[in-house]
Amino acid sequence: MLAVLFGLLGYVLHRAQSHFHYNWDWRLIPGYFVRHDPERGWILNLLGQGFLATVRLALWGGLLAAAIGGVMGLCRVSRSLFLRLLGRTYVELVRNTPPLVFIFIFYFFLGGQLMPVLDVENRIAEASPETLAVLALLFGRPELLPNFLSGLVCLALFEGAYVAEIVRAGIESIPRGQWEGAAALGLPPRPTLAKIILPQALRAVVPPLAGQFISLIKDSALISLISIQELTFAGTELAVSSGRVFEVWLTVAALYFLLCFGLARLFRRLEGRLVRHRGR
Amino acid sequence: MSDPAGRRAPDDRRHRWRTAFDGLAFLAVLAGSGWLLFAGAGELHYNWQWYRVAQYLGRFEGDEFWAGPLLHGLGVTLELTGWSLSLTVAFGLAAALLRRSASWTGHALARVYVEIVRNTPMLVQLYLVYFVLAPILDMDRFAAAVLALALFEGAFAAEIFRAGIEAIPRGQWEAGRALGLSSYAIYRRVILPQAIRLVLPPLTGLAVSLIKHSALVSVIAVADLTTEGRNLIADTFMTFELWFTVAALYLALTTGLSMLAGWLERRLPLRGVGHG
Repeated sequence: MLAVLFGLLGYVLHRAQSHFHYNWDWRLIPGYFVRHDPERGWILNLLGQGFLATVRLALWGGLLAAAIGGVMGLCRVSRSLFLRLLGRTYVELVRNTPPLVFIFIFYFFLGGQLMPVLDVENRIAEASPETLAVLALLFGRPELLPNFLSGLVCLALFEGAYVAEIVRAGIESIPRGQWEGAAALGLPPRPTLAKIILPQALRAVVPPLAGQFISLIKDSALISLISIQELTFAGTELAVSSGRVFEVWLTVAALYFLLCFGLARLFRRLEGRLVRHRGR
Repeated sequence: MSDPAGRRAPDDRRHRWRTAFDGLAFLAVLAGSGWLLFAGAGELHYNWQWYRVAQYLGRFEGDEFWAGPLLHGLGVTLELTGWSLSLTVAFGLAAALLRRSASWTGHALARVYVEIVRNTPMLVQLYLVYFVLAPILDMDRFAAAVLALALFEGAFAAEIFRAGIEAIPRGQWEAGRALGLSSYAIYRRVILPQAIRLVLPPLTGLAVSLIKHSALVSVIAVADLTTEGRNLIADTFMTFELWFTVAALYLALTTGLSMLAGWLERRLPLRGVGHG
């Protein structure tokens, strides 16, 4: 089996050499991260900006998805049939349509109407320089903010459905005895949920949530298709404009890998510490 | 119900009344969002033309049925899913076996494969296969799409197979060795036939996610359901109708498969004892 694998690998490399005279040139790549501007000194170039935008999308998207997912997850275990139906519809609709189709529908439909409602563009035009500086730090270039926001909401709505399922599983993993015990002590349902069930469920929910966060980073690549300017978008632009297709795509993939793999390792270590801590 | 012991179940009539009320409220919300959708479209002066959608699905000429572009797209999506699913199983099984093998290189290779695939976005992998690998190997877009999908799902299949194989009790291995079987024969005749039953339900789940991810290949212009939808929208400007139809088709496909998965899960005994 190994021989076959290495044979295939060798064949690919051989073909790359003989049939396809591609001259590799990695020297340009660092320049796409940062470049020197005569007036402003060192500034981030396309790939650097794209990477930052992806990180921002991940952070804000994660928070928003956690909020949506938390609420919807609670709906799914609620006593009221109405809330359960609502949660179920949301989760099933999102999880059973392809991410791409969801994103396009959202983009054509909600994206076009949401932004006029929030009136973001006018507010930015009226904002003071200080607000703009804060916004730039938090969300990237202000002139791209409406674009960024619609991408963000889209991503969060999408991931929220998965978070909702994680939250539901977490709550349902708490033994019935906990509910019964609280009821025996005379606690009404709501305080039982808030004071007894949720604190315990939180522990069960953290590891899968961390995994979902990494999924969110990966799914954020899809947002590039509706022209949200993050890492993959920057990659597409660069590959086309510079012609260094191989190098650019390998770099983009490596960046995502570093981000996700690093986070996965970090989460695993934190989780290990959590388990040990609890064991004591 | 989250608090089974919260309160004694009130008398039946009140309970039923409440259920009916909740159901009605839910319908009201559905109607409300439907109305919002309509009103929103009205504000854009959107011209709904649902009657034109049917012809893109297919039409009858006399007794003959002609599939429209959407059904053709659905066919391509299914074809794509079928090919990549078989490749996925091959990749997944190979990676799972390599991961379990005694060889250090094999173990490392499988590990690297799984980690790389699981930690990069599917879209970027698709671009890598299409723009980097495909020109080198002279693949057309369909082959590139199949390969990218299979590589992606293969890493997840690998974990499923690994879990399935490891769930078989050690005694089976020991018995196989005691009978003097080679490790190939043990896998082929003893372990895999039993593991298949454990692996089948999660594999159908994987097939569902494969269908969903196959929508991505529209990015490299493989003529699947999403691509056909996008092309038709570009031609007819019926954005909403066509996207909703496309989504409904996917929904039907994936829900059907999910139900099949549920049925399989109920049907197959968990620890099958049999010849296999």
